[in-house]
Amino acid sequence: MYRTVAQLDSQMQSLATWFPGFFTRMQLPEASVQGRPVYALRLRAGTGPERRGVLLVGGTHARELMNPDAIIELAVDLFVSYTNNRDLVYGGKTWPAADIKLILDALDIWMVPCANPDGRAHVMTVDDMWRKNRATNAGTTCMGVDLNRNADFMWGVAEGQTSCSPCADVYAGTSAFSEPEGRNVKHLLDTHRIATFVDVHSFSELILWPWGHAPTQTTDPKKNFTTLPKPKCKPIQVAGYQEYLPPRDLQRFQTVGARIRDAIAAVRGRTYTSEPGIGLYATTGTWSDYVYSRHIASSALEKTYGFTFETGPQAATVEDSFHPADPTLIKRDAKSGMVALLQQSICAIELIGAQFFRAQTEVTALQKVRDKLLSTTDAGREWIALFERIEAPAVVAMLGDRELLSETAELVKRASALSKDDTTKLTDEEVDAGLKVVRRLRSRVEDAGLRKDLRAIEVQLDGLRGAAMSKAVEKLMTTAPGAKAPARTGSRAKGKASAGR
Amino acid sequence: MANRSKGADALGKPEGERFEATVHPGVREAALSRVADLDLDRIPDAHGDVRVIITADELGELVRRGYEVRVVRTVPIAPLDPERIQSDDDAARWLEDRIAGIPREEER
Repeated sequence: MYRTVAQLDSQMQSLATWFPGFFTRMQLPEASVQGRPVYALRLRAGTGPERRGVLLVGGTHARELMNPDAIIELAVDLFVSYTNNRDLVYGGKTWPAADIKLILDALDIWMVPCANPDGRAHVMTVDDMWRKNRATNAGTTCMGVDLNRNADFMWGVAEGQTSCSPCADVYAGTSAFSEPEGRNVKHLLDTHRIATFVDVHSFSELILWPWGHAPTQTTDPKKNFTTLPKPKCKPIQVAGYQEYLPPRDLQRFQTVGARIRDAIAAVRGRTYTSEPGIGLYATTGTWSDYVYSRHIASSALEKTYGFTFETGPQAATVEDSFHPADPTLIKRDAKSGMVALLQQSICAIELIGAQFFRAQTEVTALQKVRDKLLSTTDAGREWIALFERIEAPAVVAMLGDRELLSETAELVKRASALSKDDTTKLTDEEVDAGLKVVRRLRSRVEDAGLRKDLRAIEVQLDGLRGAAMSKAVEKLMTTAPGAKAPARTGSRAKGKASAGR
Repeated sequence: MANRSKGADALGKPEGERFEATVHPGVREAALSRVADLDLDRIPDAHGDVRVIITADELGELVRRGYEVRVVRTVPIAPLDPERIQSDDDAARWLEDRIAGIPREEER
């Protein structure tokens, strides 16, 4: 069973009215082409300034009916789990209550469950295979623009499944963001700190990420879309063109994609594939590519990781593939995937910074070390991946232990100061304080993989006594987790070696 | 194929018939990569086939270009089965059930 547009709107309204401490409903700036209001819903626990945001969009393609329902149900599931302090269970996958609490405490979750209300209404009243919005196209009786070809990324380049014909189901529109429904989503990206984005589609059981217009390469930054000729209504004219993706970002997409895939598989064994968008077919003007490309097109913008989900398998008929008689199980898979995406969007350092420091300078300094140094080598990227694996469970453990959290905050502060000074060396006391925190964390997690990761940090940290921060980072850039620890350089190292005889 | 007919009647209902089909190279070994040139409504296929929803005109054009088109079935031009649309009462009840026991702002 599927909700009507009015029911989706009404449920958002009820949630915002009944639970204003958690939900805020806002009407987006523009009505749809047929005059329907379009709403966003924000979910967060607690008060305070704007947080790192995640934006979930559904219903971009009208006939893909499951996803607006899945998003509104997810909002309710998260809220109920938080309020009742109960685990969130999707089939065989259990999300502990502490994990859900962290998600709602750490993030602003923005949702546009039904980005294309005219299209959804048309599916329910006229044609159940309708895909586009309901724009009138001048000079033709063919209606509608494909909202997932209308974004300002390689717009109008007719590569693969993108068209300049108003009669086509993949019509790109008359210009980038010609459609109010798309401008509404852009408005949220422009006005809020959206760190992660997902546009939820159906079907094929896929988790897609950039790029959709060309195969990916990680070696030649000069080959990127900002300088690529964009022939209107023609395919890309550069033979064999491949688009650059920094290795660090490729790793991030792969890592998060794998987490989402695993979270879905744990529900009832459905195996989604995580891959670049072009794996489905070539496209331009899509949301997930646009969202990620923004920081490349304009260096003033923050990076947003953009994903597309394709929920559900191919069924016996195309109608049942897009809107099966009973979508319950597919929605459950999708919701688990979205929870994984939310969890992976938490930044532990930022969270600790927000709790303990007035300014974000400490956080920014460490993020610079990550983005400007560690991300440039294979070993460094393995460390980043390790930290991203442990950060959510580590924060959950820390939030249950105020002393541990406080000690970690001190470490963050000290590490940040050291990162700005090439001469000061890591003292034994600092290393010991770090080891104390890591060991305490290790005693609080049960997952064997996480314990191994924490042990790798412990070994590496112990070998950094007496090193300047620049040297310490250099060692992380050259020594992958689990590799042999670097030689100790400090006084304590010598003492320990003697004691071992 | 910009001149193909895919118009709609006064209610916005597409005119004519349409089909779910898979497209194959045929005896002339037409390149499947060029199917994209026809601006068809391509849908995913679990086996990697080129699967499309097409009008009769589009089907004819594919055949004219040498493709083999295997029609799977007719796709009716019709609204969503009303049985698949939730009633307002059911929608309201679902939310009431899910949040049962949680104090609302208006009750505080």
